[in-house]
Amino acid sequence: MKRRDSLKTLVLGSLGATMTFNSCITDEDKLILDQVWKYKYGRTPEELEWDYKMLKGKFFNDYELKTIDKIANIVLPPNENGNIKDAGVVELFEIIAKDFSTPAHNEYGEKVLRRGLIVFDQICEVRFGSKLLECTDIQIQSVFDDIAFNDNTDDNLQEAIRLFAVYRGMIITGYFTSEIGIKDLEYKGNTPNIWDGVPDEILKDYSVSYDEEWISRCVDQTKRNDLAEWDEDGNLLT
Amino acid sequence: MEILKSKKEYDVIVVGSGAGGGMATKILSEAGVKVALVESGPYFDPASPDQQTQLKWPWESPRRGAGTNRAFGDFHMSYGDWSLDGEPYSSVEDSNFRWWRSRMLGGRTNHWGRISLRFGPKDFKSKDYDGLGENWPISYEDIKPYYDKLDKLIGVFGTKENMFNDPDGFFLPPPKPRLHELFYINGAKKSGVKVIPSRLSILTKRINNDRGICFYCGQCDRSCSVYGDFSSSSCLVIPSLKGGMVDLYVNSMVNEVLTDKNGRATGVSFINKENGKDYTIKGKIVVLAASACSTARILLNSKSKAHPNGLGNSSNLIGKYLHDSTGAGRGVFIPELINRKTYNEDGVGGMHVYSPWWLDNKKLDFPRGYHIEIGRSFKMPEYGFGFNPNEFNKFFGLRAGGYGDSLRDDVKKYYGSTISLSGRGEAIPLKENYCEIDPDAKDKYGIPVLRFRYKWSDNEFKQVKHMHDTFEEIAHNMGGIPLGSKPTKKDNYGISAPGEIIHEVGTTRMGNDSKNSVVNKYERLHDVDNVYVVDAAPFVSQADKNPTWTIMALSWRTSEHIIKELKKQNI
Repeated sequence: MKRRDSLKTLVLGSLGATMTFNSCITDEDKLILDQVWKYKYGRTPEELEWDYKMLKGKFFNDYELKTIDKIANIVLPPNENGNIKDAGVVELFEIIAKDFSTPAHNEYGEKVLRRGLIVFDQICEVRFGSKLLECTDIQIQSVFDDIAFNDNTDDNLQEAIRLFAVYRGMIITGYFTSEIGIKDLEYKGNTPNIWDGVPDEILKDYSVSYDEEWISRCVDQTKRNDLAEWDEDGNLLT
Repeated sequence: MEILKSKKEYDVIVVGSGAGGGMATKILSEAGVKVALVESGPYFDPASPDQQTQLKWPWESPRRGAGTNRAFGDFHMSYGDWSLDGEPYSSVEDSNFRWWRSRMLGGRTNHWGRISLRFGPKDFKSKDYDGLGENWPISYEDIKPYYDKLDKLIGVFGTKENMFNDPDGFFLPPPKPRLHELFYINGAKKSGVKVIPSRLSILTKRINNDRGICFYCGQCDRSCSVYGDFSSSSCLVIPSLKGGMVDLYVNSMVNEVLTDKNGRATGVSFINKENGKDYTIKGKIVVLAASACSTARILLNSKSKAHPNGLGNSSNLIGKYLHDSTGAGRGVFIPELINRKTYNEDGVGGMHVYSPWWLDNKKLDFPRGYHIEIGRSFKMPEYGFGFNPNEFNKFFGLRAGGYGDSLRDDVKKYYGSTISLSGRGEAIPLKENYCEIDPDAKDKYGIPVLRFRYKWSDNEFKQVKHMHDTFEEIAHNMGGIPLGSKPTKKDNYGISAPGEIIHEVGTTRMGNDSKNSVVNKYERLHDVDNVYVVDAAPFVSQADKNPTWTIMALSWRTSEHIIKELKKQNI
């Protein structure tokens, strides 16, 4: 049995109770399982079960998801480096709404994320007579101009300002933790390499330098493969 | 209730596979001793692709690494954190102890910071210096040979510094400092704070042919798939299993040490978490290494006619003198570090430089010291990254917040411009800080659980106040702006809750006097000659050093003692 198959058996086993109760695995279950396998990141059986439950449920309806997509595209407009869709930002909202559902999260999905949509819609309805999704970009931007800065002291907008900050945070974090976002950030790590100090041109940029005595005791990367040996006083010989 | 008894009798039963238990298993089994290693969590091997999180990208988790299931995020390698489903604990008297439990082969060594510091001569005899707490019954000279062997077996990088209370060892060469660490070095020097290369058990150089060498991904908290860092699972237990002298029991929750009518240990009982059944196994010797508080819990739950208030508890001190490191931290924004050019600066997991305790307490209003750890922000984003994309605009007289394409530029502008400073200090152990069995609560396995009482004293408050003063001075001297406001008396100077630093020790403290301690200088219970404790429970004091290196050195020493006793047929 391939490892993937054996892991599948494991999950199906741990989900056995609910599965067998339904007497067979439905197409929907299969779809969800395939989604679980999209994410292969070293889960325990209990965590896999959590992911399964989370991916299976639906929190936002399609109208709400479209509204989130609209907001996200105005908060972080697409450019040549990347866009909200490719970064999976809307999917992240859906997942976090379901995932942050422990008592410690205090109904984050309902009280924060969905509440945000309700509050933004209310403002749009008062000002323009229609919900956010039916407003023009210019109308939405005029609302954001009022709620995107916390130096606005209008009492009536404080909740909207707080919720907008959460939305902006989620959108930015969703973008910059995606494959295109990390590329956009130009983060260079998470890959095997040999660290041999800050590049010279960077040191020059900041007018800092390595202390010669300090560096002389640091690892000589040409000898990293030589088996370590010491004299009896702890001096490295190799 | 059905209890399944194994007919096998082991020479030694080791309970727990973390730093202490892993070391005991290795030393004992290599000497030809037949060992049963009983671990409450599942098998774990950082090299297993099914368990590996190292080198995963944030988008490989549906929640981008958020901490729903693991307190320090999806990729952090600890099965369990400050809370475990169905295994509660509580605190009394308005205190709040936070108890971290990693239920997996190798325990907490899979996620720790690999800071591997020897205790110094002063640390074993602190009472001689300030009259507080208690001295250890052993001295640095007793443990030095084991630290030496440990350095060579496991590997730790560092430099010879000739500091009296921060002894040198057999070091691998350290990595060069990162950019922000050069800023720290300059700021600390101006503040009169000593800085040296850090001492971490990560292989910057080959130490044997079984383990790979660090490839600088900066992710030791995810546990290394080539065994380039030290974990008890990868470096002690898994190699020991190949020798044929160890039977490993996983998912097995030990609830009691079993005794005969004379009160000597005969084995342990445990619950198999997979089938819920109770089992017993027999052993000539029981070595407890379940972690300071879990070991106390097992002993206190092991009541018998011979030991009516718990095994080895004639002193009534089991659970007492519980203490964790003090902790406080501050973020610092470095305006000079905005708009950084990016390059791969992941380095090793954790800091490349640190500040060991540098002052003389005679001139200060608190006892004992602390060291400073330096953290970075120029690293791989995870859930939470960029939540306040431009809050530092306030330092430039610019409006924070907003929306639109400029947010992208703001994120890039401030990426990697903050440094975090953390103090980790020594607390004075107090009898009044303890864990005990809660008479009213059991876990989902039916085992009585712990409740805690732990309050910091003025000594610790004054120490963290000093940390914060130091952080601000260093921050200014490296051209930085300390973030937020400095905590004051009203918020207890920002001291971490006990347990949060995850260095809890002291629950079966070591001593020569059986009325004043629980184990002797070989970590054997005063009351029972065939039960040993090799985790951090026997620590008399904590020092301003992380406990792991000392846990392992002591466990090695105790294991050699056990081998001698077995050979002499004393046990």
